[in-house]
Amino acid sequence: MATSEYTILGKSVPRMGGVERVTGAGIYGIDLTLENALHGGILRSQYAHAKIVSIDTSEAEALAGVHAVVTAADAPDVRYGRTLLDRYMLAKHKVRYLGDPVAAVAADTPALVRQALKKIKVVYEPLPVVLDPEETMQPGAPTLHEDMPLPKNLPPDAKVKNVCSYTAVHVGDPQRAMAEADLIVDEVYETKMIHPQYLEPRIAAARLEPDGRLTVWANAQAPFSVRTDVARLVGLPLNKVRVLSAELGGGFGGKASGITSGAAVEPICALLALKTKRAVMIVLDKAEETIATTIRSGARMYLKTGVKKDGTIVARIGKVIYDAGAYSGFGAMAGARCTNMLGGWYRMPNCHIDGYVVYTNKQVCGPVRGPGGPQAAFAVESHMDSIAAKLGMDPVELRLKNTPGPGDKIIGVTKLRDVSLGEALKIAAEKIGWGKAALKKNQGIGIATGSWIESAGPGGGAVVKVNEDGSVTVHIGKIDMGTAPRFGIPSIVAEELGVPVSDVTVVNVDTDASPWDAGTVGSRSIIVSGTAVRLAAIDARRQLLNLAAKQLEANPDDLEIRDKQIRVKGTPAKSVALAAVATAAHNVIGEVIGRGYFDNEAMVAHEKEHGSSQPFAAHACLVEVDPDTGNIKILRYIAVHDVGFVIHPAAVEGQIEGAVAMSLGQALCEQVVLDENGRTLNPSFVDYLMPTINMIPPIETVLVPGYPGAGPYGAKGAGEIGCVPVMAAVANAVFHATGVRIRKLPLSPENVLRALRAARDTPAEKKGA
Amino acid sequence: MDYFEPKSVAEALSLLARYGARAKVIAGGTDVMVDIKYKDEPECLINIKRIGGLRYIEEGNGGLRIGPLVTIRELETNRLVRERLPALWESCRQFASLQIRNTATLGGNICRASPSGETLAPLLVLEAKVKLAFAEGEKVEPIESLFLGPGKTSLGFNGLLTEIDVPYPERASRSAYLKHAVRGPMDIAMVGVAVLVTPDANRSAANDVRIGLGAVAPTPVRARAAEALLRGKPLTAAAVQQAARAAASESAPISDQRSSAEYRSWIVEVLTRRGLERTWREATGKEMSG
Amino acid sequence: MSITVSFSVNGKRHTASFEPAASLLEVLRDRLGYKGPKLCCNTGECGACTILLDDKPVNSCVVLGADAAGAAVTTVEGLANGGELHPIQQAFIDAAAVQCGYCTPGYIISVKALLDRTKTPTPAEIEEAVSGNICRCTGYTKILDAIRLAAERMQQGS
Repeated sequence: MATSEYTILGKSVPRMGGVERVTGAGIYGIDLTLENALHGGILRSQYAHAKIVSIDTSEAEALAGVHAVVTAADAPDVRYGRTLLDRYMLAKHKVRYLGDPVAAVAADTPALVRQALKKIKVVYEPLPVVLDPEETMQPGAPTLHEDMPLPKNLPPDAKVKNVCSYTAVHVGDPQRAMAEADLIVDEVYETKMIHPQYLEPRIAAARLEPDGRLTVWANAQAPFSVRTDVARLVGLPLNKVRVLSAELGGGFGGKASGITSGAAVEPICALLALKTKRAVMIVLDKAEETIATTIRSGARMYLKTGVKKDGTIVARIGKVIYDAGAYSGFGAMAGARCTNMLGGWYRMPNCHIDGYVVYTNKQVCGPVRGPGGPQAAFAVESHMDSIAAKLGMDPVELRLKNTPGPGDKIIGVTKLRDVSLGEALKIAAEKIGWGKAALKKNQGIGIATGSWIESAGPGGGAVVKVNEDGSVTVHIGKIDMGTAPRFGIPSIVAEELGVPVSDVTVVNVDTDASPWDAGTVGSRSIIVSGTAVRLAAIDARRQLLNLAAKQLEANPDDLEIRDKQIRVKGTPAKSVALAAVATAAHNVIGEVIGRGYFDNEAMVAHEKEHGSSQPFAAHACLVEVDPDTGNIKILRYIAVHDVGFVIHPAAVEGQIEGAVAMSLGQALCEQVVLDENGRTLNPSFVDYLMPTINMIPPIETVLVPGYPGAGPYGAKGAGEIGCVPVMAAVANAVFHATGVRIRKLPLSPENVLRALRAARDTPAEKKGA
Repeated sequence: MDYFEPKSVAEALSLLARYGARAKVIAGGTDVMVDIKYKDEPECLINIKRIGGLRYIEEGNGGLRIGPLVTIRELETNRLVRERLPALWESCRQFASLQIRNTATLGGNICRASPSGETLAPLLVLEAKVKLAFAEGEKVEPIESLFLGPGKTSLGFNGLLTEIDVPYPERASRSAYLKHAVRGPMDIAMVGVAVLVTPDANRSAANDVRIGLGAVAPTPVRARAAEALLRGKPLTAAAVQQAARAAASESAPISDQRSSAEYRSWIVEVLTRRGLERTWREATGKEMSG
Repeated sequence: MSITVSFSVNGKRHTASFEPAASLLEVLRDRLGYKGPKLCCNTGECGACTILLDDKPVNSCVVLGADAAGAAVTTVEGLANGGELHPIQQAFIDAAAVQCGYCTPGYIISVKALLDRTKTPTPAEIEEAVSGNICRCTGYTKILDAIRLAAERMQQGS
């Protein structure tokens, strides 16, 4: 699409908020200093599964300088959860993972907090610990939640327990179609739990105000869900709770979905503030976060695919075992997404997949960057290469053979409008030199694709206020963490109102003043807030032109705003300053306030009728495998993405590059490692290995134009899909280099070398069997 | 917590005599600071950074005399270390981030006695000597005898390391340090291997071969059986492979979250072989014969 | 007990009293109000707290506050000249290398130390200089762009 019709859109204008970030201003949650505030801290369970026999807080309370100690007994008897209400903010009766909050303290200094936490005496009665979800599902396994019923939609013959959610995908007649296949490939893939490891630790602060209201400061991605949950959990109406968002030092879904993701740090802090009638601030330690806050779950994925000799996929039968962790958290939603995506994004006429989301004694599943997607894609796209190998077919050709076209359906999408998958795949193959590049010994190329569904979720609003000097203040309900709210969103407002981007301010979320929003989640900032601010800016422009029309004695339809002047089209001399019109508004309507919203139902209805344009991606990488150590070096990485209309190229590239690096971490080394008692063995950054710059080559991003999406101007979301194809691309490259298929992450040197040695010992394994 | 900044070794020793096991000595602090935050705070912290005369790199005694407060970065940027002690220099190059190299000291890395301590295997093969000060007097011993176990040295709770003497190897010799870690320098070694090879005058056999292993035993260790297999012999591929296997069987690694014991022993073999091949090539200008 | 230590931060003299085990990061952030160095891993692994201690980049979370005595500390707050950003700061903005921005202050300090050492850093020197600075947002690609841009501009400017 040509971008020349726009002045600002399509250009990488400097990020709003850049100066304060490069100068080290204290803008983040962790930089917050509240006068006279107490320090708060959380006592966490030292058992992964145990009954709480008793809690004695008397010694801790007796310490001078300790102002409050709270347990479940101090909180209303209310549970929380994203889909199931199965969790107390402070554990009651039982603890279910090592890190479960049990009590909290407010004291004068951090040292006193630590001292007081040590003096709380909790008597536990340990219970058997279950860590593998597939074992936990067995009828003989220990019960994790005595009072949570099994999902009502479970198949009647399913003999399972500890399942908190079940999803079935069923299309056509997979059993019959499978019988007609020329080749059936049956595999099992597995991914491990990783932590989002945003760099800024989570904080929460709370203060009881003189008027009885509660102010909460949070570095959360979804301030309105923080408000909802805090109000509910401490028993206040919503108008008595105000949540202010600090700037976020990263989130990646780890700080999303309010309380469910934050291990309830906000309501615990609120409880302490209410009890002490003082301001209280809690800062989590990074090692505490690694064990206690939400993670990207591991999944075990069974998939069996039937194909014809020519590569046409005829059927897939699969099963997903998705680890929810100790509470349902985001597990039901992520597990359902993983189950759907195991059906792939190719033509799939017959398919059956069972998805079980299972409780275990681990930390809780959160909506981490593409929840469920990267796991499914690791299986789906590795599996495609396995099929190709067995057919003796080129993996790219196999994918092209099954690529859907306009009007086709894929699992989870009833009708596609236009499909960039094939083009993206061809570009990726071309750029990496697929079939052409001269490879050295031990080098290999891997290709994998991905998709992401972003067309379901709540609506959201925007308010655009034009100040009397012509500058613009924008309110949305989404926070900034380096994504669209301070990259593409100001550009949209500036474009529509004819002002420079530097005249636009998007203010941070204050639930008293900002429009409600589900938060900066789900790759939806540009779709929801981008649409809303565009309509709000258009609304404000209409008001401005109406006001100017009187001053200029012209028809509003003949007016335009250019360079902060409202002028008659074609007669630039006949103009009035935007500032003058905005000032004149004081005497008429008070202020020019544009309102806009994103209507989710309308979008869903529109896509149902006209089809949807999904974002697709194709990644390609060149790797070198050290056959003696199993070490993998990523030499080149190419990420080809269709993100629809590109509002801010650098922002989109940045999202993709960051997502690729994060998933390269999961591909190569990242995981939260537990011992058999559920204790995390690598909580600190010394042992939790996320990629450093020496592991990641410059990522070559290619944006494919021409496939407009559901967002403003035809934009699509880009925050998560970059994570989706990565692990499979690396695994496929390792297969290409070595002939060995590795189906379990991470592809750590040891896991790779073990696989290579096993293949040397049993050469049959080499064919990707 | 009591805190002291002694100005002399004698003053530090008298504090150690007073506090014994209740005191913690801190130099660069890159490890000790983490312990203070995440383990129990010591009753007494003795910061030895203000002791004068412990930060130098000087030629003497046929090698380099190094003060324990010399930082890893100072070693790395020292020409004599680079030219004469390549194994030590290479370990400094692979020693965490620049920020840490600017802070961490050689003395700290030694006294920490972590089996994976980056400089330790190189110092073993370079046959460094350490000067230890006690209230009763000073003693000099081979660095190898300093290490008693993970975090344990013969300094006990009352001694202070005051100098590291690293003799120059023969001009004809070459040394190297090979590290295996997922993130390279930015990660604790799963295995570290230091190798030193001295060819004879004809460059046909090895007069001396030394192999030091890190992260695969309670202390850094010499693989003496492997060394003996090669000493005085031509370094053929077969002999080197045999020695590498011997080194692996001399190691006694543990399994932890980083890797399994078995994997570590495989890597000992690989790195020993690669180290020997490389140093032999560098020392003789010849590839190893088959 | 507490100790009292004098040192300069960005050219300004400070005297601070604190617990002897306090890290320089705690002293800078909590006693003196310099919020530029960021608290993250607290174990010397991520580089978010990087400052210059007598012109050398260090992780201030694993340096004793006491060790700053008599030293010159430079934090990211000290780089801009009045309203004018340092070329490295400007390059990070221009190259879109700032997403959440939490690693940025540490990055800018590490890059300053690099470009103070050499005006024409090689790719290997760049990699070495910032391997100790973890960024979780950018995937490092645009950070490399920013470093090269800053080096280019500083060469032209000098």
